[in-house]
Amino acid sequence: MERNGKLPKIYLTVVFLVLYAPIFYLIFYSFNSGGTMSHFESFTWEHYAAVFEDKRLIIIVLNTVVVALLSALVSTAIGVMGAITIHYMKNKAMRNAMLSMNSILMVSPDVIIGASFLILFTLVGIKLGFASVLLSHIAFSIPIVVIMVLPKLQEMSPTLIDAALDLGATRKEIMSRVILPFIKPGIFAGFFLALTYSLDDFAVTFFVTGNGFSTLSVEIYSMARTGVTLTINALSGLIFVITAGLILGYYFITNRPKTPAAGVKR
Amino acid sequence: MSTQPIIRFENVSKRFNEDTTVLDGVSFEMERGKFYTLLGPSGCGKTTILRLIAGFSEPSEGTIYFNGKSVNQTPANERQVNTVFQDYALFPHLNVYENVAFGLRIKKVKKAEVDRRVKEALKFVNLSGYESREITEMSGGQRQRVAIARAIINDPEVILLDEPLSALDLKLRSAMQYELRELQQRLGKTFIFVTHDQEEALAMSDEIFVMNSGQIQQSGTPIDIYDEPINRFVADFIGESNIVSGVMIEDYVVEFNGKRFECADAGLQPNEKVDIVLRPEDLEITPLNTGKLTVTVDTSLFRGVHYEISTYDQDGNEWLVHSTKKADVGMQIDLDFIPENIHVMRLNESEEDYDARLEAYGAADEN
Amino acid sequence: MMRGLKRMVRRMKTNRLGLRLSTVPYTLWILLFVIAPIGLIVYYSFFDLGGQFTFDNYKNFFTSVYLKLTISSFWYAFLITFFSLLISYPTAYFLTKLKHKQLWLLLIIIPSWINLLLKTYAFIGLMGLYGPVNALLESVGIRKQQILFTDFSFVFVSVYIFIPFMILPIFNALDKLNPALVDASRDLGANAWTTFTRVILPLTLNGVKSGVQVVFIPALSLFMITRLIAGNKVITLGTAIEQQFLVTQNWGMGSTIAVFLILFMVIILLLTTANERGVAGSGKKR
Repeated sequence: MERNGKLPKIYLTVVFLVLYAPIFYLIFYSFNSGGTMSHFESFTWEHYAAVFEDKRLIIIVLNTVVVALLSALVSTAIGVMGAITIHYMKNKAMRNAMLSMNSILMVSPDVIIGASFLILFTLVGIKLGFASVLLSHIAFSIPIVVIMVLPKLQEMSPTLIDAALDLGATRKEIMSRVILPFIKPGIFAGFFLALTYSLDDFAVTFFVTGNGFSTLSVEIYSMARTGVTLTINALSGLIFVITAGLILGYYFITNRPKTPAAGVKR
Repeated sequence: MSTQPIIRFENVSKRFNEDTTVLDGVSFEMERGKFYTLLGPSGCGKTTILRLIAGFSEPSEGTIYFNGKSVNQTPANERQVNTVFQDYALFPHLNVYENVAFGLRIKKVKKAEVDRRVKEALKFVNLSGYESREITEMSGGQRQRVAIARAIINDPEVILLDEPLSALDLKLRSAMQYELRELQQRLGKTFIFVTHDQEEALAMSDEIFVMNSGQIQQSGTPIDIYDEPINRFVADFIGESNIVSGVMIEDYVVEFNGKRFECADAGLQPNEKVDIVLRPEDLEITPLNTGKLTVTVDTSLFRGVHYEISTYDQDGNEWLVHSTKKADVGMQIDLDFIPENIHVMRLNESEEDYDARLEAYGAADEN
Repeated sequence: MMRGLKRMVRRMKTNRLGLRLSTVPYTLWILLFVIAPIGLIVYYSFFDLGGQFTFDNYKNFFTSVYLKLTISSFWYAFLITFFSLLISYPTAYFLTKLKHKQLWLLLIIIPSWINLLLKTYAFIGLMGLYGPVNALLESVGIRKQQILFTDFSFVFVSVYIFIPFMILPIFNALDKLNPALVDASRDLGANAWTTFTRVILPLTLNGVKSGVQVVFIPALSLFMITRLIAGNKVITLGTAIEQQFLVTQNWGMGSTIAVFLILFMVIILLLTTANERGVAGSGKKR
C-alpha cells in the first residue's frame, strides 16, 4: 500500500464512478425540461410532479410497498421459527437436509422460482395477482431470514439457556426473555433483507402476476420497452434517496456501540 | 438445623450413547453450609456431577436426593440450586441490574422488592453503583461478581460454581479465592465448587472430592488429602510428589530403592507391594553420607521462596526436592527424611478400607 | 415411581408439542415452496402442449437449437463471471486496506440495492445512439455507433449488475485473512507476487468460489437484460424458459429447460462448495 499508493485509489475511484454513473445519470436527467435523456435543456421539477399526479403509478408504488412490508413481516416470523427449528434439531442428518432445502431457494435462479411457482399457483387455483405475488415474495424471503438468524443462534452460548433454567425460567420464558432478545439483531437484519429482496424483485413477480396487478419493477420493464419517459427518472431519484437513506440509517443504527449487533463483526 | 445431608448421591451413573460412562456409580453426601470442591482433571466427571445437581442432565442410574427427597424428576427451573457458570453466562442483552434481577422477574416479584434485593445482592459482591452498566463494559472479575450476585439473589440452598476462576488472570484469581471463601462464610450456604486447580481446592475448601475417570478417588479435608493421599493418582494430582514402588516388609518397615526404612504405617500384609510417596518439601538436603539417600543434582531452579531441585539416584529415579538451600548442579548430596513423612499407599485400596485400616491401627501416631 | 414416570412423560409431550407447533410453518414452507415446485417442474417436463405424456421435450432439448443455446448461455455466463472476478478481486483487496472499510464496502453495495430495472433502464439511455457514451466517443474522434443491442453491452451491463455480489464474499475472505500470515510469507523471503499466489489467493479461494457461485448461476438464466440491453440478440437458458412459459405457453418444454438449468445449478454448486472447511478454517483464526 505504501509503495504503490496511487494505483489503488485510482482503481477504486474508477470502480465507484462506474457503479454510480448510471444512477446519477438517471437522477440528473430527471430535472431535464427537455423530454429526453440526451440533451439537458433547463432545470425543472415537472417530472417529479408527474410522479405524484400519476394515480396509476402511485397505486403501483403502494402495491410494491404493501407487498414488501407484508412479505417481510410474514417471512421474518416463519424464518425465525425455521432457524430455531433447525438450530435445536438433534438429528444431524435431518438438520443438514433442512439446511440444504433452505439454500435451494437461495441459489435457484429467479426464472426457475418464477416458473415453478406459476405452475404451483395455477394448479392449486390461486388467482394470479396480489395473492400469488405476496405468497411468492414470502416464499423466497424465508431462507434469507433463516440465514441471517442462524449465526446469531450459533453465537449464543448454550450456557445462557442453562443459566435461565437455573434461575427458574420456563421454556416459554427462555424463548421470550433470552433467545428472542439475543437474536434480535439477526431478526432485524433478516427483516431488512427480506424487504429489499421484495422491493427489488422483478423476475418472480413477472412470472406470477396477472392482469391488473403490477409492482414497480414490472411496470418499469414495460415502460422501458415502450419508450423512455422522464417520469421514471424522477421515480428513480426518489427511490435512490429513500434506499440510500434506509441503508445508511440501518448501518449507523447497527454500528452504534453498545447494541449487541456491534458484536457480530469483531 | 437438621443434620440431614443437603445433597446425597446414591450409586449415580451417567452414560452417553451407552458406551461412554462419565460417572460410574458415585455415592456421597454433602452437609449444609460447607464449602465443597470437586477436583480432578478434565473429563473426570466433576462437571457432570454439577450438571446433575443443577438438573441440566438426568442420571442414567441411581438417585439424587436433595434434603432427603429424590430430585431425579425435578426440572432445573424448579430446583433450589443456582449456578455460577464457567463463562458466567451473563445475558448480553441485559445490563447488570437486569441480569441480577432475572430470577426475581421470572418469579414475578414486586418491583420495589426486586429493587431492594438487587441492590442488596450487588452490595454483597461489592458492585454497588454498577447497576446500569452493560455486561460488555465490565471486566472479567466484575462479570464474575455479577454472576455470583445473580446466583445468590434467589436465595438458593446450594450454589454451584463451575470453574468460575479459570478465565481470570493469576493475581485476580487468588484475590477471588479469598473473596469466594469469605462470601460463603458470610452467606452460610453450601457451595459446590468445581476446579482442576489443586491450589484453588486446597485454599478454599472445607472438603475436597478428588475425582478421576468417573469415580471419587478420595474425599476429605485439604490437609487429609494432602498428607495422606490414598493412591498414586491423588498423590500425583495434589501437590508435587516423588512416587516410587516399594515393598512393605512388616509393620513399620518398608523397603524401596534397595534399602529398608522405618515408617509409620501398619496393617498391611508382610511383603505386600506398595507405592511410596515422599513430598519434595519433606526431603532435606544434607552433606554426602549423612542422609538416607544419595543422589546427584541434575537441575536447580530458583522459585522465589525455594529452590526446585531435580536429582537422580544411582538407579535413575528422579527425586524432586524443595529446599531453601542451594545445591550446585552435578554435585552429589544426601537426602534425609523422617519416618512420618514416608506415605505408604496400598495398591487399589478403596477409601472405606483405608479408613477402616487407620481406625484399627490408630492413626494417633500420624498426627 | 409411577407418578414420577407419568410426570416425565407429560413433560416430554408438552416439549414435543411446543416444538412441533413452531416447526409447522417452516416445514410447510419447505414442502410447498421448495419440494413441490421442483417436483412440478420435473412432472411437467414430461408433457407436451396437448397434455400428453411424452419424452419429446427431452429429445428436443438435444437438438442443435437447444444445444447451441445452452453452449452460448454457458459462454456468456463464463464471460460475465470472468470479467466480474477480474474487476472485483482487486477492488475487494484495495477496499480491505482502507480506513473505514466497512463504510466503503457499504457504498459499493448500495447500488445493488437500487432497483435492478432502474439501473438497466439507465444503461438504455447511457448507451443509446445519442447517449453520453457515444458523445464521449465522438469527442475523441470515434464514429457514433450502436452500442446497445450488442454482445458487448450485454456483458458490460451484466458485469455491472453482478460486481457487488462478487466483491462481497471476496472482501469477507480477505478481511478474515490473518495479516500475520502475509508478514510471515514476506519474512520467509517471498516477494509480493509469490505471497499473493501462494498465501493470499489460496486462503481467499473460498470467497472467490462463493462469488463465482452467486454470479455464474444467475448469469446462466438472465432474461430481462437480454431483452432490454441485448435486444433479443442474446438468448440464454433464462430467456428460453421465459419464452416457453409466458409467450408460447409451452410449459412442458419450459419445464424441461428448467430441469436442465437445475441440473447445471447443482453441478456448479457441487464444484464451488467442495472442501469448504479445509481452507476456511485456517483463515478464520485470529
